[in-house]
Amino acid sequence: MRRRAALAGLLLLTGCASGPSLETQGEVTEAPGDSKHLTIGSAGFTESDLLATMYALLLKEAGYKTSMLTVANRELYEPALESGQIDVVAEYAATFADWLNAKTNGADAPAVGSPDLTATMTALRKLATPRGLTVLDPGRAVDQNAFAVTRAYARQHGLKTLSDLGRSGLEVRLAAGDECVQRPYCEPGLRKTYGIDITGVDPKGVGTTQAKRAVQNGQDQMVLTTTTDATLDEFGLVLLADDKHLQNADYIVPVVNRSRAGSEGATGALDRLNDVLTTADLASMNEQVDSWRRLPEDVARTYLEDKGLLK
Amino acid sequence: MTAPPDDCLARNEWICGEYLSTRRDILLDAVGQHLQLTAFSVLIGLALAVPLAVLARRWGWAAGPVLALTTVLYTIPSLAMFSLLLPAYGLSAALVVAGLVLYSLTLLVRNILAGLRAVPEETRQAARGMGYGPIRLLLTVELPLALPAAMAGLRIATVSAVSLATVGAIVGFGGLGNLIYSGMNTFFKAQVLTASVLCVLIAVVADLLLLGVQWLITPWTRAARA
Repeated sequence: MRRRAALAGLLLLTGCASGPSLETQGEVTEAPGDSKHLTIGSAGFTESDLLATMYALLLKEAGYKTSMLTVANRELYEPALESGQIDVVAEYAATFADWLNAKTNGADAPAVGSPDLTATMTALRKLATPRGLTVLDPGRAVDQNAFAVTRAYARQHGLKTLSDLGRSGLEVRLAAGDECVQRPYCEPGLRKTYGIDITGVDPKGVGTTQAKRAVQNGQDQMVLTTTTDATLDEFGLVLLADDKHLQNADYIVPVVNRSRAGSEGATGALDRLNDVLTTADLASMNEQVDSWRRLPEDVARTYLEDKGLLK
Repeated sequence: MTAPPDDCLARNEWICGEYLSTRRDILLDAVGQHLQLTAFSVLIGLALAVPLAVLARRWGWAAGPVLALTTVLYTIPSLAMFSLLLPAYGLSAALVVAGLVLYSLTLLVRNILAGLRAVPEETRQAARGMGYGPIRLLLTVELPLALPAAMAGLRIATVSAVSLATVGAIVGFGGLGNLIYSGMNTFFKAQVLTASVLCVLIAVVADLLLLGVQWLITPWTRAARA
């Protein structure tokens, strides 16, 4: 619907802008708004599609009209969220806090996202509120960076946690993104926090098929992926626990435009997912979409119906 | 966890009937959006390019800046283009169309201008000798004679708009590009292949249609050859 309206509006060559003006964006005294038609944004990857679809279904159940908009870059969708063109987005607490921090205080500002969820949420809300955004409470699902080795390798050396790997003194070649050598959660953290002997970083990307294959065939020993990766089994990989909490608290949080979706009705509908959705659930849904190629809409609806969130 | 279903989707085959049957509406919507994006951007591009080319022809000094400007626009990467236009258009189909219009200008202006310049000086003088004023000369002599070159430009611009429209996927309005983009992320073979083939089909059909239009509106070229 929204797309057709936009195409019609294009004849007039006018851009549409709704939501708070620049002057009122910083104010938080105004009552939160309750628009009856909400646009849910997806960042275009599977997990984001699934979360956006679930949000849309829950909001529809609560009596809202919804539409979805896929925008691949945070640089593009975050301003749209502030202006009210997008009303709801699923975000990752620590990542989004750091991104807003860089936007507000410059790229060199010290990071505010940390493994501590409470501290991260406080920092995130402090950054988001002046922009007219409300960050809802985090649920149980978390999409963190995680490290995996082959099952055989784990058994052979008795590895369950990253600390075990550090104690073993094994030389480890890591398949990860090329930024891994700089990021505190990656190579520097593995060395400093866990004492793991990283001999090199193989730049094959985060959790890509190539990266997992490299570990599977022994070219590399460990791969950087995420906690909601459900394809690990296919490659015979197991996660090593982050027992010293190196990884940031990337809990999934709904972020809403306060003046359009900040009301009890909308946030209450979104909060219902928090008590239910776990990291494993999300991983399983990712697998159904990524590996079995089911439609995100079907997977999301089936999940919500199974959990009794939809009638 | 339940076992994966055994169908061509789960096996990730390039050609998959299951894909077509489960995604029919999605594919139709994407094709519709793709056609709209392409048609709007080419038509608006044409409406801007004709006056620009005529101006550049009328005043020789304008040709350099006009061509330079449209060419510079062509070199802006699409992500940068959309970011620059975002404040004006918001996240909308208009944003993608505006970007595509700017990209189409260099192809259209150059070809229309080339067509106008190719009108023989004797022809223009003959028309003037018959008492044609500048407007009548332009509309009844110069533009018709420029048609073959202009149509060639329009065909290139249309085909390139069909393929460029796919980059609109980064703002959610890319027609078939939305499907190609999400299919690439998960290496979804059937989706990438189907959407790409549809994209090529649209381009070929659009090109043939324009060729037909050209054949219809330039009967004299056939008479000369026959």
